[in-house]
Amino acid sequence: MRIGAFIPELLRHLFKKPATVDYPFKKLSPPEGFRGTPYLHPETCIVCRACERDCPAEAIEIVELSAAEKRFRLTIHNDRCIHCAQCVDSCPTDAMRMDDKYEIAAFSRWDLKAAWEYVRAVVKPKAPAPAPAAPAPSANPPSDNG
Amino acid sequence: MAALKPLLYVFVYPGLLFLFAYGTFCEWFDRKVYARLQNRMGPTHTGRWGLLQPVADFVKLMAKEDVVPEKADKGLFTALPVVGLAVVATAMLLVPVWHVSPTASGFNSFSGDIIVLLYLLSLPTLIFFLAGWSSTNLFSTVGGTRVLTMLFGYEVPLFLAVLSPALLAGSWRLAEIAAFYQARPLLLLVNLPAFAISLVCVQAKLERTPFDIPHAETEIVGGTFTEFSGKKLAFFRLMTDIELVVSSGLLATVFLGGFPGGVGWGFVQFILKTLFIIFLLSLMRAATSRIRVDQVVSFAWRFLAPAAVGQLLLVILLKGFMP
Amino acid sequence: MKVQIPIGPQHPALKEPIGLRMTVEGEVIHDADLRLGYNHRGVEKVAEGRSYIQNLYLTERICGICSHSHSTTFAQGAEILFEIVPPKRGQFLRYLVSELERVHSHLLWLGVAGHEAGFDSFFMYVWRDREIVMDILEMISGNRVHYAINTIGGVRRDIDEAQRTKILDLLAVLRARTSFYLNLGTTEPSFVGRLAGVGYLSKEDAMSLCAVGPTARASNVPRDVRKDDPYGIYDEVPFEVCTADTCDVLGRTVVRIKEVLQSYDIMEYLLRNLPAGPVAVKAPRRPKPGEIVSRYEAPRGENIHYIKSNGTDKPERLKVRAPTLGNYAATIAMLKKGFIADIPLIFAAIDPCICCAERSVELVDSRSGRPSVVRWSELRRMAGRRAARDSKKRNVEWPL
Ligand code: SF4
Ligand code: SF4
Repeated sequence: MRIGAFIPELLRHLFKKPATVDYPFKKLSPPEGFRGTPYLHPETCIVCRACERDCPAEAIEIVELSAAEKRFRLTIHNDRCIHCAQCVDSCPTDAMRMDDKYEIAAFSRWDLKAAWEYVRAVVKPKAPAPAPAAPAPSANPPSDNG
Repeated sequence: MAALKPLLYVFVYPGLLFLFAYGTFCEWFDRKVYARLQNRMGPTHTGRWGLLQPVADFVKLMAKEDVVPEKADKGLFTALPVVGLAVVATAMLLVPVWHVSPTASGFNSFSGDIIVLLYLLSLPTLIFFLAGWSSTNLFSTVGGTRVLTMLFGYEVPLFLAVLSPALLAGSWRLAEIAAFYQARPLLLLVNLPAFAISLVCVQAKLERTPFDIPHAETEIVGGTFTEFSGKKLAFFRLMTDIELVVSSGLLATVFLGGFPGGVGWGFVQFILKTLFIIFLLSLMRAATSRIRVDQVVSFAWRFLAPAAVGQLLLVILLKGFMP
Repeated sequence: MKVQIPIGPQHPALKEPIGLRMTVEGEVIHDADLRLGYNHRGVEKVAEGRSYIQNLYLTERICGICSHSHSTTFAQGAEILFEIVPPKRGQFLRYLVSELERVHSHLLWLGVAGHEAGFDSFFMYVWRDREIVMDILEMISGNRVHYAINTIGGVRRDIDEAQRTKILDLLAVLRARTSFYLNLGTTEPSFVGRLAGVGYLSKEDAMSLCAVGPTARASNVPRDVRKDDPYGIYDEVPFEVCTADTCDVLGRTVVRIKEVLQSYDIMEYLLRNLPAGPVAVKAPRRPKPGEIVSRYEAPRGENIHYIKSNGTDKPERLKVRAPTLGNYAATIAMLKKGFIADIPLIFAAIDPCICCAERSVELVDSRSGRPSVVRWSELRRMAGRRAARDSKKRNVEWPL
């Protein structure tokens, strides 16, 4: 037992910079490979529906708009998404990706839905690798979002 | 002019207005130091360096809904915060910050004022007990009984410790005690053990860690204050702040030689010495963990009280040898 | 005068809802009663409607702190059903994350114990240093809480050489800090005075009440699934089971800190002997029919998953026994004859994870003592009947 065993450690920090960050004013950047929000890169989506099938939160919905034109709409319900990146792992053509945004709160759950309308791509799926690569982080979120 | 002076004392300095400003400042200081000791930021954004945060908290609480429990004694429940505030503000009048000369006595400085001040400082404890008891909540009741149980522990050592320098100075008047030690600063060293004891006791009186037992939130929610809300809670918080100022003022007068040097320098000394004591209290708050109420009592009677008696003996012996 | 004090379902000491009723006399607890069921989420039922890969993420969400424990327990079981063995490197990384999680969970607990004892500075410092573990986990897996690193057949992400050395460096920092807290936690008088002798659970009681994890080990029962029934790589990693013989909250604190120090050893071994190769093998979608019990030493104790497969891509039944459930009986024994002031500490000392332990509602008829499972419609009818009967008693005196 030692009285005041903590005091030296406490005093040492009295004039040190705080360990906490003044959050809304200063922000830390997430590390590489951070799992942010999923988004679609529609140019390479072959509508194999692997992401829809594997998504544990049933957050991905693919609807066929016109069979003749091969037009589809893929909606990511971000209000349900649990940011597990399974869709990225399941996608055979790298069409599903993750960005590194972490401030994704919204006032309404409808603001959180992201949808893409596109024509099915004709891309050869890469050989299914046993070890799925880490999702490619991308700074640019999709522009045709809506 | 003569009639105006007491009014000035009561309302402006060292009365309510000054107490409000300085009390909130001390709370800010305490919070900031506590936070920095823990490597955090503390209040940062309200006012410069978060200086206005306690004021903002006060204003916010004043604007909040004020709920009185159905079963509570309404009169008592409502009166307690106001009475408590009045008591501690009155106690402040006795701290010799304003009166420069130790000879002239008046309504706020008389022989025996140290006893009166100590008793005024005991009243808040009773008020907390009544507050807990009158709100009839189970947690409040437990908190209230804890307040009283603790009182039996720390009150005697506190009195003994504060009175031993008075004994050495041979006066029961705060201004004279301060003047005595200003003349013989070395004698302050004799009272160092009493200073340490009374710091611990004041910490207990103010119900701060390790003695924040009556409102230990992880055990009994808000304790004594569980049912208080809005204006009443704001008053209680202000009361605690002012109690902090008064207690540290008392300790500074008795153990650190008071605040000599006229209005200006005396004021600066008041600020510096009270802040020093508040810093020590904050350090104690940061360095310890809350103990149990039975541990408080046994600690107080096993260590604090014997030490205080020892100090008293030392002072008496010293007085015998002193010219 | 005996009074009943309700702790919970809403109380500042509780992070999750649970009902504790204490019968106290003065400050001393005479009897304790535990009521569960405020946080039932129906995870097991949901699991029956999800494929194995989806269930991995579902089981991860059983607990927010030992998330990896549940998903690993599930993955271990599923891998046996799928008849695949994850590659060595994948296993090393999986159990590296396990140990990181143990460190983060124990440091979190240490901070919480400080907070419950009113030692807020300790809490702040421990949690500050816990951020290092969280950063390592975020770096490895891409997220702080739900790492989602497991997949059936291995792990989803690999680490590179730079990350490996960085983790080793950070572990050295952590080791120094943890030794400091071990020293501080056992020397600061007010803290030790609060913890020592509190929540006594004798070795015999710990055995007979089936305590698990650090709670049992602090009562000198060397029970650790990693040693008793080694899974994964634990039969080749050298480590010790930490025990204490003080049988109180102080012992539980010391056991946890020592375990953290052991975890650093394990992690260093794993990182220094990391084999090369792939991190996962591809799993088929459907397992063979069969059933399996998978055991795992989570930070809080033994975690058990029972999985039954019927040959489809969804499990027929998943049963989860979270470690907290094993410790409830012991908690009641610990609370008796304690002080009110010690309730939060004793309860927190089992490191309760309440919503993990909430599985199914079983009603016991207090007259016949016969348990019965009640259907939802029946429950609603009962509630309606009760409300009709007690409508006049709305203004009953507090506490109820
Ligand atoms: S990140 Fe996970 S939850 Fe979100 S859409 Fe992808 S698979 Fe679904
Ligand atoms: S995003 Fe990928 S997985 Fe999903 S449908 Fe398109 S190609 Fe298939």
